[in-house]
Amino acid sequence: MVKIFLDLKWFFKQEQKAYGLGIGLLVFVAMLQLIPPRVIGVIVDLIQNDILNLRILFKWLGILAAAAIGMYALRYYWRIMIFGSAVKLTRQMRNRLYSHFTRMSQAFYQRRRIGDLMAHATNDLQAIQQTAGAGVLTLVDSLTTGGTVIIAMAFISWKLTLICLIPMPIMAYLTSYYGSLLHKSFHKAQEAFSDLNDKTQESINGIKVIKTFGQEQEDIESFKKQSEDVVKKNMTVARIDALFDPTISIIVGISFFLSIAYGSKYVLAGDLTIGELVSFSTYLGLLIWPMLAFGWLFNIVERGRASYDRVMVLLDEKVDITEKETAIHAKAEGAIQFNVMEFTYPNEDSPVLKNIHFTLLPGQTLGVVGKTGSGKTTLLKLLIREFDGYTGEIIFGGHNIEEYTLEGLRRSIGYVPQDHFLFSATVADNIAFADPEVSYSDIMEAAKSAYIHKDILQFTDGYETVVGERGVSLSGGQKQRISIARALIMHPEILVLDDSLSAVDAKTEEIILKNLKENREGKTTIITAHRLSAIQHANLILVLDEGEMIQQGTHEELMQKDGWYQTMYLQQQLEELVEHGG
Amino acid sequence: MDTENLSLNGKEQRKVLMRLLSYAKPHKKIIFIAFFCLLMMTLGNIFSPIIIKIFIDDYLTPKNLDRSAIIGLGTAYMGIQIAMVFFMYFQLLKFQQIALSIIQQLRIDIFSKVQSLGMKFFDKTPGGSLVSRITNDTEAIKDMFVSVISTFIQSAFQLTGIFIAMFVLNVKLAFFCMLILPIIFLVMRTYRKYSSIYYLDMRERLSQLNAKINESLQGMAIIQVFRQERRLRKEFEDINEKHYAAGMKNIKVDGLLLRPAIDLIYALALIIVLSFFGISSFNSPVEIGVIYAFINYIDRFFEPLNQVMMRLSLFQQAIIAGERVFRIMDETELAPGQQVQGDHLINDGVVEFKNVNFSYDGKRDVLKNISFTARRGETVALVGHTGSGKSSIINLMMRFYEYQRGEISIDGVSIKKYSDAELRKQMGLVLQDAFLFYGTIKDNIRLHNPAITDQDIRDAAHFVQAHTFIEKLPEAYNHEVVERGSTFSSGQRQLIAFARTIAANPKILVLDEATANIDTETEEAIQFALEKMRKGRTTIAIAHRLSTIQDADQILVLHQGEIVERGTHQELLALQKLYYKMYLLQNGLADRIQKAVN
Repeated sequence: MVKIFLDLKWFFKQEQKAYGLGIGLLVFVAMLQLIPPRVIGVIVDLIQNDILNLRILFKWLGILAAAAIGMYALRYYWRIMIFGSAVKLTRQMRNRLYSHFTRMSQAFYQRRRIGDLMAHATNDLQAIQQTAGAGVLTLVDSLTTGGTVIIAMAFISWKLTLICLIPMPIMAYLTSYYGSLLHKSFHKAQEAFSDLNDKTQESINGIKVIKTFGQEQEDIESFKKQSEDVVKKNMTVARIDALFDPTISIIVGISFFLSIAYGSKYVLAGDLTIGELVSFSTYLGLLIWPMLAFGWLFNIVERGRASYDRVMVLLDEKVDITEKETAIHAKAEGAIQFNVMEFTYPNEDSPVLKNIHFTLLPGQTLGVVGKTGSGKTTLLKLLIREFDGYTGEIIFGGHNIEEYTLEGLRRSIGYVPQDHFLFSATVADNIAFADPEVSYSDIMEAAKSAYIHKDILQFTDGYETVVGERGVSLSGGQKQRISIARALIMHPEILVLDDSLSAVDAKTEEIILKNLKENREGKTTIITAHRLSAIQHANLILVLDEGEMIQQGTHEELMQKDGWYQTMYLQQQLEELVEHGG
Repeated sequence: MDTENLSLNGKEQRKVLMRLLSYAKPHKKIIFIAFFCLLMMTLGNIFSPIIIKIFIDDYLTPKNLDRSAIIGLGTAYMGIQIAMVFFMYFQLLKFQQIALSIIQQLRIDIFSKVQSLGMKFFDKTPGGSLVSRITNDTEAIKDMFVSVISTFIQSAFQLTGIFIAMFVLNVKLAFFCMLILPIIFLVMRTYRKYSSIYYLDMRERLSQLNAKINESLQGMAIIQVFRQERRLRKEFEDINEKHYAAGMKNIKVDGLLLRPAIDLIYALALIIVLSFFGISSFNSPVEIGVIYAFINYIDRFFEPLNQVMMRLSLFQQAIIAGERVFRIMDETELAPGQQVQGDHLINDGVVEFKNVNFSYDGKRDVLKNISFTARRGETVALVGHTGSGKSSIINLMMRFYEYQRGEISIDGVSIKKYSDAELRKQMGLVLQDAFLFYGTIKDNIRLHNPAITDQDIRDAAHFVQAHTFIEKLPEAYNHEVVERGSTFSSGQRQLIAFARTIAANPKILVLDEATANIDTETEEAIQFALEKMRKGRTTIAIAHRLSTIQDADQILVLHQGEIVERGTHQELLALQKLYYKMYLLQNGLADRIQKAVN
């Protein structure tokens, strides 16, 4: 338990003012808390002895009111100090995590599932916030309240205090025992719930089979059984859960009983006034909370520690695509000489690229074709430095691409990925992604080149239509064309189209290719495609198979030879015919 | 995260709540027990301070040391404490039990409802959100029943009891104490008003924040390649900042109106009680025990209040979840109903489509004028490009969708007129992806049909030749299928699905691309099994691989919802049109392709 507080020491230090003040206020509240029971006791004694007058009454009630208002204010402020700091902590950690995410290479994203990363950024940060807020509060509050109350009680009568505290450890022991029982059965209930979830998932996914065999009723029966199991497991939890309150109630009851029984003895012996006895038993009531809080504390802190460790492991991951200190910041320009002997993805055994060599001069177009998994996309990924770690070199404008800053290299490349991903923003924002400052007419220009302008005008809000996950749904072809416009707007030295015309029809493809040719004179284009018509006019075509170049040349050259390219070209023409009904 | 419908108005909220509460009706008996326990517990809570009051006033203050009376009081006090332990325990348990039973019923109801919906509903609703309605949303409602409603009822009992006791002890003071009720009410209302605004605001910010992280993670490659890391970090920091601000506002509202406020009111109540007794002591003696009892009651009064206030946000969430659950329960997209007339039975299984037209959206026809007949023992194959309408034909035949124009009949009787049971019994559908359920191989072949014996299962498996691999499994037919059968090859899964269909022994076989995803190892076994299965049955088959339907009695070639060619394999090849081209495409005969293209 100490470990997590030590781990968070940097934050406590950073926010030492807030924490210092917050804890100070907590201690102060704990002391103010002692006033009301004391006032009750005093007034009771004054009434008992018949010496109460209006002035004295008002004096004590005034003290009581002042304490209450003071506590209200202080309680409000320590919340802001301590809970506020905890929220600040998550804000800070979240920013750190996000900024770390933006620095990690694609190798990292290959290793980690997005769902897991999300869980770290949400649940784990939540648990850490709990520790830094409720955890700190519970620790300090239960110690100070518990401590001051016991001291105040001891001032009234230390003997009575000892007697009344006898049952309290039993309560702490029992509740923590129930806690461990609860933990186990709760786990089982959770499992039953997740089984029910699986069952539901299965029924929904297999609904066709169920309907086909007319087994709706039977499936409902089996769902009933499963949900009965959930009830059963939850009842086990309930049976334990319901032990807490009665246990607390009986222990507190015994404590009160002891305080009254022994207290009266002392009253009769003259060691204690009745008022003091009333104060004493009110103090006793104040002790229940700190006792219970300690049980929780372990729970909160335990979760916080595990979460913090997980997040730190994530933050400690090294950034693996780095820039040299002497890196060239200038925009990369010029010919590309691609000489890669071998590349294997991290954590995989067999190479995905072998002996790829080609030279591409400014203004030329390169076409890369081949079966799925032949290495087309990988080739592009090496060029944009999503991955390092190949043998060989890629020269761009006379320098190895690793000699450039990432900014310098990527500023020259307009990339249109295979999975056309759009952000939840307007169409205009998506197109202007690389440069939000760009003018509206430039945006439209790019959209026109990508042959999406007319489609956009059809959308309800035109260029201001929100797209992406939470926006209107677009067809694959529309998304692809917006992705192309997004790359075109930066007038890149190299335009990379990674199978980016797959979802548009042949006519649209032709128009886009024509636009590219006209608008991008003197600039380089790399296209990978399944449909050969997309690369037919390239200056150089590479045919990849299992990571190796099996054919290269222009369309005309390749059509002359028996081989993959020729076969595929004919087959695709036939497919075209079939699609159009022969 | 579902952010829609966060704002239900008060009336709608009450409606949802009432509908949820109506689920409690069948549990009258347990509810009675729970309330009885609650009542006894409340009585205990009220009487224990009174016993102490009697002790203080009658024995302690006058120094009257009647041993037996004091022991009597002590025994009574401890007796009440012990009895309360039991009542409290059962009360808590019973309320949990009620909540769980209610949720169970709710779950079964929504699950049954979902089962009765048509395929149209499933095609337009993502499976994940349905699952979340059935499990997660009902779980949120459970939390409300367990912690909000039962706490609320307990508190209400407790408060009423305390006030009754106060009135019995001192009417005037009890009246004064009632003064704090409107204050509490006001604080609660204010809290509810502001917290629902700020709480929802924070939830909304959180979901924005999470959406931003999620989206950024998904699009990280794009962000990096377009060098927008800095801008996105800035954007994220802004959203994070807003979330922080919303979080702080919540802390402030909670701090101003929750526990600290209730504690302040508690002090006010103390002041009322003390000044009342203080002032009345000027004129007449005051019983110390009554002061004690009042103070004790006030202590007990405020804890339940804190509990209820802290849980108000759970209530809000449960109502929203409830609304979503009820929306599905009120869904009208039911599966096509049967207009059963008489006791039609399927004997030969002659399937006939007569001028069937069909449209999913009521605008564009996906099937146009489809007519064909498949007799007993015959195989009719449907081929065509994606979207040509093959699957729609099967959707109509299986009654997944309702058709309006044209007629589909079996043995001359419209399929609308058979009972559901008869149709399901006589038609066996085999899907492209064999779906295996959690359970044993045996369970997967039998499904829930008790009429199928273990011998039938073995026979069916033998028939489709699935037994060779099944018997090699560690527990043979009792082998557990895990993770949807991902440990089996697709061919093996398909063989199990075949056995499932054969065990049900239908007269009509419907194959929906049943051989599309088959690995080469099992392909032969599958082909052989299919051939056997088709004997003596009417078969309608969608085929992706043309090689699998070469012996079909009739092949229908579909294009844009119309049958453009029909005939046997040889006839269609001779035609040298669409089917011929498809055939060439799959068989990759380069020279002939070249000819066809030119």
